[in-house]
Amino acid sequence: MESQTPQATPKKFIVPIGPQHPALKEPGHFEIQVDGEIVTSATARLGYVHRGIEKGVEGQNWTASMYLLERICGICSHVHATAYAIGAEKLAGVTAPPRAQAIRVLVAELERVHSHLLWLGVAAHEGGFDTLFMYSWRDRETVMDILEALTGNRVNYSANLIGGVKFDVDDKQADQIRRGIDFLEERTKHYLEVVTTDETFLRRTRGVGTMTREQAEELGAVGPVARASGVPRDVRVDAPYAAYEQFPVKLVTDTGGDLEARFVVRMKELFECYRVIREILDKLPPGDLTVKVKPRLPAGEAISRVEAPRGELFYFLKSAGGTNPDRIKVRTPSLCNWASVLVLAPGHKLADIPMMLAGIDPCFSCNDRLVTIARRAGAETWTWARLRQYGIEYYR
Amino acid sequence: MTPTLPPIVALLLVPGGLFLLVGSLFYEWADRKLVAQFQNRIGPRWFQPEADMFKLLAKEEIVPDGVNRALFHGLPVVALVGALTAALYVPMLGLVPSYSFRGDLIVTLYLLSLMTLCMGLAGANTIDRFSLLGATRALTQMFSYEAPFLLALLGPAIVAGTWQIGEINAYASKHAWLLLTQPIGFVVAIVGLMGKLELPPFDAPEAETEIVGGAMTEYSGRGWALFRLGRDVELMVGLTLASAFYLGGLANPLAFVLKTFGLLVVTAGLQSLFARLRIDQVVGLWWRIGMMLALAQLLVIAVLSRVA
Repeated sequence: MESQTPQATPKKFIVPIGPQHPALKEPGHFEIQVDGEIVTSATARLGYVHRGIEKGVEGQNWTASMYLLERICGICSHVHATAYAIGAEKLAGVTAPPRAQAIRVLVAELERVHSHLLWLGVAAHEGGFDTLFMYSWRDRETVMDILEALTGNRVNYSANLIGGVKFDVDDKQADQIRRGIDFLEERTKHYLEVVTTDETFLRRTRGVGTMTREQAEELGAVGPVARASGVPRDVRVDAPYAAYEQFPVKLVTDTGGDLEARFVVRMKELFECYRVIREILDKLPPGDLTVKVKPRLPAGEAISRVEAPRGELFYFLKSAGGTNPDRIKVRTPSLCNWASVLVLAPGHKLADIPMMLAGIDPCFSCNDRLVTIARRAGAETWTWARLRQYGIEYYR
Repeated sequence: MTPTLPPIVALLLVPGGLFLLVGSLFYEWADRKLVAQFQNRIGPRWFQPEADMFKLLAKEEIVPDGVNRALFHGLPVVALVGALTAALYVPMLGLVPSYSFRGDLIVTLYLLSLMTLCMGLAGANTIDRFSLLGATRALTQMFSYEAPFLLALLGPAIVAGTWQIGEINAYASKHAWLLLTQPIGFVVAIVGLMGKLELPPFDAPEAETEIVGGAMTEYSGRGWALFRLGRDVELMVGLTLASAFYLGGLANPLAFVLKTFGLLVVTAGLQSLFARLRIDQVVGLWWRIGMMLALAQLLVIAVLSRVA
């Protein structure tokens, strides 16, 4: 009891954020050490939603693995499947037809629209601006409806196959997408104006969590977070995959490095998304949707990189020539961005921390695919019988 | 003028007691519904606050370790009592205040502050870190808005030449709306009221994304219900005070409903317009801008009334 009172340790007042906390929609644990309202240090502990997906796919065949991998992240499920499909196609030595590649990009960009709008709402909520939260999520329904009409699902779209995509886009759907995109473009213009001109909101974002370009490069930031600090890093531009060669995107960067810049970069990226989506709909290449792939992929290793809404998503695939993957390693963008929050947090106000956490658009379950058990000095090993006895005593 | 009601009716039914409890829950609903509409949501049904209240009152109250039990149980009661007592000195429902004496304006204002004070103490009473931070913020915020809010309500008092709420109300009914002659005071009073009630954007003391429930984190069941009820009553009293002083007084129940409701629409709009202010920004806003404006206005009023 004594050790729990903050008076007993006056120097260390730690605010625990998580694993259950209203600011977090997924479990993670952050220990924010504060002096009054000023943060002096921050540490993160992840791993609450480790689901063993990487191990799980080793027991599935190549086709079934995609369904499992798609469920790593509910927000950016399509890019996971795309990265996997591209990697598996490399192993099989085939390329998907151009029309399939274009549809992959189409769904990926629609997904980016939904993800960025979702993020806008979450970040606004963390800053206590619930009106923006409600409005942006209302408008996000437009793109959710489009994705549902296109793929049949609102969340895990399941658009990919190894060697192509599952569905075509007809003229009626194209018209629906165009109408939706026109509406969203208008709304996005409005939101860009709000996040750059609203006085109370700017007070919470301008100059908060500023990361210089050097820091961003040193901390290995990826995606919009890096681009907001002026690092020109985007897999779609640096190493175009799928149909990004035919439908190039413009790199959006900002020099601010603070939260405001991250808002601006994401909003401006939305305009790029709308432009690319329109271009794809106008110039959708004709042809087949799939190529045939044998169930056994030849032995070998492949690496595939794609740009998820949060940054670079990295897949390593290894085949031993069987029907199942031998090993698949996934590195998600959220994991690369944690360091930027924890390093930049000291010196900020406690009130800024939820917004800084939200600023990297964290996806907790994306992170959790490895458990490291750090044994403290003086730790002892308990036998099963003793652990059981302890449990009985504890609950007596 | 309406005849004075017998004290037992005034205390227990109208305008005190039961009317306050039911009416304040209705105001809470109106506030929630309006904010929801402004935010493009549907909002709660009309009986939602009542349902919340019954549910909370029936729930088990968990007393956390390490608190002073008497304070833990006593503070919500004191907070509610403070707000209910304050209501007796204001022209609730447009009636003549049930009780009145010289200088009751000051007493009412301090009774209203009792709420924040109780919340601060309740937060500091527990060993929960969120509560402690919330209590610090609640008290910090109180020290920043209290002075400008007081000054904003003193403006009408000086013009009316009395510190008795009932007489200020009567003065306001007979003259042009003070909103027109003292616009700064009106704005400071409204924003001060929002700070007092910890409504957004002044909800840093209970910012859920930072410190969960703030000072109220450890409260559940009865204690939390009483605090909420107290805050609802305070919302009602605050709206009554502001509309009596600045919106041309409250002479009858119809004027009361129309004016307080109109004011509620304004505060609900303000609630949905802004992002939450950090606690340091709140203090800066009040002492740099709110206080200066209120002081300037008071100075002008004092000089003008001396000249006149």
